[in-house]
Amino acid sequence: MRHMRKPIGFTLRWATLLLVAVVSLFPIYWMVMSSFRTHDEIFRYTELGRGLFLPVDWTLQNYRDIFLDPAKPFGRYLLNTLSVALVVTAAGLLVNAMAAFSFAKLRFPFKKGLLALFLSSLVIPYEVIMIPQYLLMRDLGWINSYKALIFPQIVWVFGIFMLIQFFADIPRDILDAARMDGARWPRIFGVIVLPAAVPALITLGIMTFLNQWDSFLWPLVVINEEQRQVIQVAISSFQSLRGISWGKIMAATTISSVPILAVFVLLQRYYVQGITMSGVKG
Amino acid sequence: MPRPASPARSIKPARRTSASYERQEAKAALLFILPAFALLALFIFYPMLQALWISFRHYNLISAESAFAGFGNYRKLLGDDAFLASLRHAFYFTVVVLPVQTAISLGLALLIQRKFRGVGFFRTVYFLPVAVSFAIASTIFRLIYNKDYGMLNIVLKGLGLPVLDFLSNPNISMWGIIILCIWRAMGFVMIIFLAGLNNIPDYLYEAAHVDGAGPFQRFFYVTVPLLKRTLAFVVIITTMDALKIFIPIYITTSGGPAGSTSTVVHFIYETAFKQMNMGYAAAAAFLFFLLVLAISAVQLRLFRSDVEY
Repeated sequence: MRHMRKPIGFTLRWATLLLVAVVSLFPIYWMVMSSFRTHDEIFRYTELGRGLFLPVDWTLQNYRDIFLDPAKPFGRYLLNTLSVALVVTAAGLLVNAMAAFSFAKLRFPFKKGLLALFLSSLVIPYEVIMIPQYLLMRDLGWINSYKALIFPQIVWVFGIFMLIQFFADIPRDILDAARMDGARWPRIFGVIVLPAAVPALITLGIMTFLNQWDSFLWPLVVINEEQRQVIQVAISSFQSLRGISWGKIMAATTISSVPILAVFVLLQRYYVQGITMSGVKG
Repeated sequence: MPRPASPARSIKPARRTSASYERQEAKAALLFILPAFALLALFIFYPMLQALWISFRHYNLISAESAFAGFGNYRKLLGDDAFLASLRHAFYFTVVVLPVQTAISLGLALLIQRKFRGVGFFRTVYFLPVAVSFAIASTIFRLIYNKDYGMLNIVLKGLGLPVLDFLSNPNISMWGIIILCIWRAMGFVMIIFLAGLNNIPDYLYEAAHVDGAGPFQRFFYVTVPLLKRTLAFVVIITTMDALKIFIPIYITTSGGPAGSTSTVVHFIYETAFKQMNMGYAAAAAFLFFLLVLAISAVQLRLFRSDVEY
């Protein structure tokens, strides 16, 4: 209402809103449009005009090229990334939820000390342990193996921390009642706790999946074999070639980000909830 | 004390079941934690200790060299211009990104906090870059920044402005990285601020309004103090993330031009996985870790020492 009385403020506000929206969307728009351009079209339109903002000769050739190139099998990269991300997400949800449940609801000796130990790992930057982790993978013979992409990524202390806060709201009475009825703890966990935590699990699942889908530095270090590479590293390796083919690169980035963006828009409320929980309560 | 023992004996059976209950619960609890603990120990804590150990050794995978170095690696690092320059670049990046990104994100959060028609659309749009991976965002910006056919310079030329060559001019190359990072992260930070803003009860604003406070006074005397915890969180995680910047640098400039964008993590990566000089890289990583830890501790202190609301 206040802004109705001040037309300048109102206009300024909307101008800012729209400007930021354009800035946010433009690179994504540019990526998608470039993926439909022919190779020389990208270099041709270097002046403001229609040809700059929309492809003139729409083509799907870039998409065909990236999927049919046997040297850089794009479909394979997609599949590699998807399977690793799904396995890590599923295993991570189970392992982290189990630990979080224990910390949030069960009584046991050294609980505080153990929790402090877990949380202390949050200050360890990934960059420090990356080197010995790489050496460990070498000793285990896991270089170029998906095991290297999966096992070290399963436990996520930040996720445990988030779930603890969520599980804390489940009343202990319900658990005790089930216990009185003779249910064992694994059953209580599976039948009572997990179903009650579905929203939090979706949140954590989305965050884990996105992290894995975006994972770059670790696969760059442990996967050297072309066929086993994941999508983000594969895309960056397209660029190191001489005579960069931007159309193909943009087709690759479009395919690997647009489905994610779509899912993200649909499920953003869960993701936002996750950020909110970690940021405000934490 | 023998006397209190006799009443205790009469309730012993109940006690025993509750004790075995407790023991069972403790056992179950530890089993629940075990997988996470084992993974954490093997993949985080053990490597952390090993990193410390390696950092005191001359350890190169190419020359197969491995010998005790004492503080040799650390001493050499403090005189290594490339390492010191990489620290400087990381700090420069952070000192710019921290205030600019925080201000923009808070501004956006304030803009879309109030309900109006279309607010959901704007929130989603601002948040969308968060879902674009860092590697992809960097790739797109590399195309946009191109001097000859990149969007940015075509528009600048079209408007009669000077060309900005972020990819090969060492004086401004870091700014290209900064813009790209803010583009990708501002929506994320905005959401954190939005959550903080929504936690401030309306009646405080109403009370301030009744007391005759204008919009600026309301912002500085109600919003800012009550947003302190959120602000502390944002400042600390932004600093940590910014100091660790790597992916956009690896993809857009590889530390160039003329080493102008090489940051600490880029230095560590190059040393460890290009030169295979593990000992030296581990020492660099450890120094960097101590530095980040110290900075976070100072920031926490600064935010805590203020009055609590």
